[in-house]
Amino acid sequence: MNYALFLGCKIPSKVPAYEVSTRAVLGRLGVVLHDLPFDCCGYPVRSLDRDASVVAAARNMALAARAGLDVLTPCKCCFGNLRHAQRLLDEDANLRERVAAALKAEGLDLPTSVRVEHLLPVLARGVGLEAVEAAVVAPRAGLRVAAHYGCHALRPSAVTRFDNPMAPTLFENLVRATGAQAVEWPRRLECCGEPLHEANPTLSDRIAQGKVADAREAGAQVLVTACPYCHMRFLSIQAGRPDALPMMLYPQLLGLAMGMTPRSLGLDA
Amino acid sequence: MSGQQSKTWDVAVVGAGMAGMSAALFAASRGLSVLHVGNGGGLLFASGLLDVLGVHPVAPGRVWDRPWDALAALGKDDPGHPLVRVGADAVRVAMERVMSELGDAGMPYAPAEGNRQVPTSLGTTKVTYGVPRSMVAGAQAFAEGLPTLLVDFRGLREFSACQVVQTMGDRWPGLRCARVEFPDSEALSELYAVHVATALESSATRERLFERVRPLLGDASAVGFPAVLGLSRSGQVHQAFEAALGMPVFEIPTMPTSVPGLRLKGALEAAVGAHGVSRRVQSVVTGIVFDGDVAQLTLHDAAGGQTAAARAVILATGRFVGKGLVADRRGVAEPILGLRVEQPEARDSWHSRRFLEPAGHPINRAGLVTDSVGRPLDAAGNPAWRRLYAVGSILGRQDWMRQKCGSGLSAGTAWAAVDAIAGDLGGPGPVAG
Amino acid sequence: MADTVFHEGFFRIALWVSLALGGLGLLWRLVTWLTVRIGSDAREVSFGQRLWAAIGGGVGALFSRRLPGMMGAFFLDVLFQRRLFATSKLRWAGHLMILVGFTVLLVMHALAAWLSGKLFDNYYATLNPFLLLRNVFGAMAVIGVVLLALGRRRDWAFGRPARRPADGIFAALLAVVLVSGFLLEAQKIASPKAFYRMTDEFGLGTDAEELAGLRWVWKQDYGVAFTDLHGEPDADVLAEGRELNSQACVDCHARPQSAFVSYPMARAMAPVTATLDAANADRALLWLHVLACLLGIVVLPFTRFFHAVADPVSLVARGAAASGPLSLAGRVSRRALAADACIRCGLCDARCSVAPIARWLDNPELLPSRKVQATRRVAGRAWTRVGDGDADRLAQGAHLCTDCGRCTLRCPVGLDLADLWDAGRDDLAARGLPAPATWIQEQPAIAWAEALGTELGRVPPAGPLSADRRTFSACVQCQTCTNVCPVVAHGGTDADRVDLTPQKVMNLLRLGMVDLALGSRMVWDCATCYQCQENCPEGIRVTDVMLELRGAAWRQLGPVRDRRRPE
Repeated sequence: MNYALFLGCKIPSKVPAYEVSTRAVLGRLGVVLHDLPFDCCGYPVRSLDRDASVVAAARNMALAARAGLDVLTPCKCCFGNLRHAQRLLDEDANLRERVAAALKAEGLDLPTSVRVEHLLPVLARGVGLEAVEAAVVAPRAGLRVAAHYGCHALRPSAVTRFDNPMAPTLFENLVRATGAQAVEWPRRLECCGEPLHEANPTLSDRIAQGKVADAREAGAQVLVTACPYCHMRFLSIQAGRPDALPMMLYPQLLGLAMGMTPRSLGLDA
Repeated sequence: MSGQQSKTWDVAVVGAGMAGMSAALFAASRGLSVLHVGNGGGLLFASGLLDVLGVHPVAPGRVWDRPWDALAALGKDDPGHPLVRVGADAVRVAMERVMSELGDAGMPYAPAEGNRQVPTSLGTTKVTYGVPRSMVAGAQAFAEGLPTLLVDFRGLREFSACQVVQTMGDRWPGLRCARVEFPDSEALSELYAVHVATALESSATRERLFERVRPLLGDASAVGFPAVLGLSRSGQVHQAFEAALGMPVFEIPTMPTSVPGLRLKGALEAAVGAHGVSRRVQSVVTGIVFDGDVAQLTLHDAAGGQTAAARAVILATGRFVGKGLVADRRGVAEPILGLRVEQPEARDSWHSRRFLEPAGHPINRAGLVTDSVGRPLDAAGNPAWRRLYAVGSILGRQDWMRQKCGSGLSAGTAWAAVDAIAGDLGGPGPVAG
Repeated sequence: MADTVFHEGFFRIALWVSLALGGLGLLWRLVTWLTVRIGSDAREVSFGQRLWAAIGGGVGALFSRRLPGMMGAFFLDVLFQRRLFATSKLRWAGHLMILVGFTVLLVMHALAAWLSGKLFDNYYATLNPFLLLRNVFGAMAVIGVVLLALGRRRDWAFGRPARRPADGIFAALLAVVLVSGFLLEAQKIASPKAFYRMTDEFGLGTDAEELAGLRWVWKQDYGVAFTDLHGEPDADVLAEGRELNSQACVDCHARPQSAFVSYPMARAMAPVTATLDAANADRALLWLHVLACLLGIVVLPFTRFFHAVADPVSLVARGAAASGPLSLAGRVSRRALAADACIRCGLCDARCSVAPIARWLDNPELLPSRKVQATRRVAGRAWTRVGDGDADRLAQGAHLCTDCGRCTLRCPVGLDLADLWDAGRDDLAARGLPAPATWIQEQPAIAWAEALGTELGRVPPAGPLSADRRTFSACVQCQTCTNVCPVVAHGGTDADRVDLTPQKVMNLLRLGMVDLALGSRMVWDCATCYQCQENCPEGIRVTDVMLELRGAAWRQLGPVRDRRRPE
């Protein structure tokens, strides 16, 4: 399997361990990652200028198309926005024309057949749960994990096609594949609070705190994410707290179960 | 752009109300692969109470203690009613199955033998069959006339405990009311039921609430709250309430859209998801074409049109609210396939002269007609396709609202349809219980 | 030698004046590093604290654990320029050539009287290796300039960046110095006048035959353009000339062919050498050369070429910061230094994550090299232009940055741009240009609606979704969107909870009252989690509508806000 790795803006600068662990795990599972000169996915400008967001997204996908690759991103916001842009291009011929013209100025063609995938579905469906399970040599038996879904991959499901938006199972299945136990927690599908952090920090904090408390009440020993934004949010609201619920990125959990060293997965401990 | 691999499903279920959800659940648990299209929004208007058959005949409004006796009577008076066609055994097993699935998904139901009278937020009682465990103590307390405290929360508009006492007091002398401040809401002028429900899933919030309720209990031997005790784990929350307050605790269902409606929708979605059903929540089926042994469905959603193929189709699109039937000046039509809709002959005979006609209006019994196994008929009067079934409220010759038979109709017809399809496709027989 | 054509007294005065002026300029520039305040925390430290941090911290660092970092920065970053090497090999080559070329010319050639002359007993500008080396390093500088010019064009994302006039003047002076230097050398090689000046000075003109021989030797071997020597010299005369040459000249004069740039120039100029001699061209060129150098000293502190001073300081400071955070005063000064040290080379722009967005919006203010300037301008005391279009474009640049950190990684002189952007956003907020979410939430929705109503008349629809009645026509006001909304759920008090619930926003739009919805807090507090959209029983795209309202609010409320501001 070959993919162009789309890291987005946050992972390299703010959550480098996510890149390290993603590369380590996928490399072992036979997924070959290629690096292309990608830029911003367009998500940050989506609400202020929709067209600018679509152009930014389309340009990235055009780069992948030129290299003959599909896109894999570990970021749920990038994933959501790239798929969102694909949908807007599909439904709006006028927009399609203008974007194509902008791409042409850079010698790129409108991408029509690039598939954009998030890390989790690639693991669960591309690599396959059985293959993931088969690669586990050090099962995390007894570890109680709260899997946080993250909004922009799951919804709107008509656009993202990530999993059943009402009762997803993909993430829990991947957690179970590592031998760990996936706890049921009521707020697992709720927002982490990151997108409104700038506008209303106290409210954003309260949303995130509520989620962490909910996961803890459900008996979770570790909160696992698969998105840099969610990860950063939960880390920052728990910073300096003695009762902080430990955080992990999914490829770190999987990597440990595959017998990799914490160091090779960007884990300090 | 994001191309889907083509696959032929065993069953496509169109519609995601009670009937569609039941059909998807039953089909998936029979080992069939299921594509389930439709927005489950209709369930939001449900109360969580599951009716099988409460009233027959409609005109005098006779209420039955046992739905099975009512069904026997209905069979004699109205043999064309879909419930009669399906039969008591199928309805009973279908209801048991649905309630047990809901229990697994965190919304447990009390064991059902007959109908119960459940107090509502309007101060009335509603006759029903399947009662969530969190509401059943209310029916018992009412039936036995126990001294009971009703608690409401300042700022929660959906429910006034004292209004219920005012309306029901003469029928339930031991009933008292009290109002408390919901924990951490002192600075809020208005509360939203769902948010109160979510907050009560935290044990810390519950403890603070218990501290405020305990001093008010007095001589009460049961205590009632608005139906906000938890959302996705209401069973556990309700248990925690009973343990902490040391007496039976019950919820009183509120007006739609209510927490129990959202709970029911969430639990059914979870059950369907757990069975591996492939859900298309925001898609609408706009066309079905039968191509020999396979039906080709055209799906429409925000991302545009797609197609899907299935070896059997269950139509569970409801009546007018669910857009399973559409009405215009000329009459009522079924929009996807143009199936035959049994309806009053002329537009002006849809309704009786009296708006509150006790027997209901003729239009309330309009709907699809089926053959003896539940396959809807086309304009020419033949089954439209070998493996097309119609289930739930889209069916004619029933008035589920007045007859209080909505869930039984939905689950029962879905059970029968899945049974027929599984037999036809050569799947395994029905799984017991 | 120079003394013969150049007035010593005047030179000294000019030298000291230009050094004094250049020194004042340097001081001015250094003071800005300690006075420019960027970021809200910059207001917490005084000039004195910053001065102390710079001197005390700077000296103290030399005796602390920071020393290795600073040493490493000096050798690897300043001298070898490894960051530029990693980013752009072409620019690195050009840059290093200029650095080496000019440094060596300065030390060996310009400061010959003080350094080379004292270090080497046999230092003569006209002897090898000095003659050769001067050409080598001069040529190096010229090639370096050409390489940089080529490299720059490649990295300009938005055409040529704006430049101060002083930059152009300094660049012209540099060109004058290089060209006049080579021309002067060429003219001196070819000039018969210069030849006679030397023979007169050393009394070699007394024997006419000897002189004739020497002229032949210098014509043939040294390329002097004598116009009166024709044919072949007599062998004896030539031998005599050679004899004299070896006695009197060779100790101070290597053959000029090793001046591999100037010598060919001298040959090419031969036809006009006499004319130039007559016009005292050597004198003029020397004046030009020296005055351009002195003027350069004066102008340098007012140009971006001052980065030759600022960048090494910045890099060493960065090396110091690597082994532990600096004091607040140190950080603030480092920020001011960063804003000053950037020369807008544009290498960051080429890899800026939002460059494609900048192109689409046609707003270069999104690019880091422009943002450094903007940050500096906004921090400046004179900046009061809230509300004009430029300010809005500038704020757009600050707020659309994704903080990806690539500019900081890529900056060849290691400026901490990420820190600069944070601080710059603080300043913009203090100047009345915070993020849209902040300024829109400053007043209630009804106040915005009134402002729109009175000042803009009819409000255009927010976008394609909200313009289409079908988007909301199915809404039955069932409140499901509000019920599933985490933002509504977690509002702890009436003060920080939303003003309009999602269902109310949909209702307003359904009734055509876009103006009332636009300024709502809800529009900006929306978590964009899509719960409402996913759960809506009627399939209404609630979240997409919210996002559309945001864009519309940004575009439509901005002008209203600006007009209502007192300034």
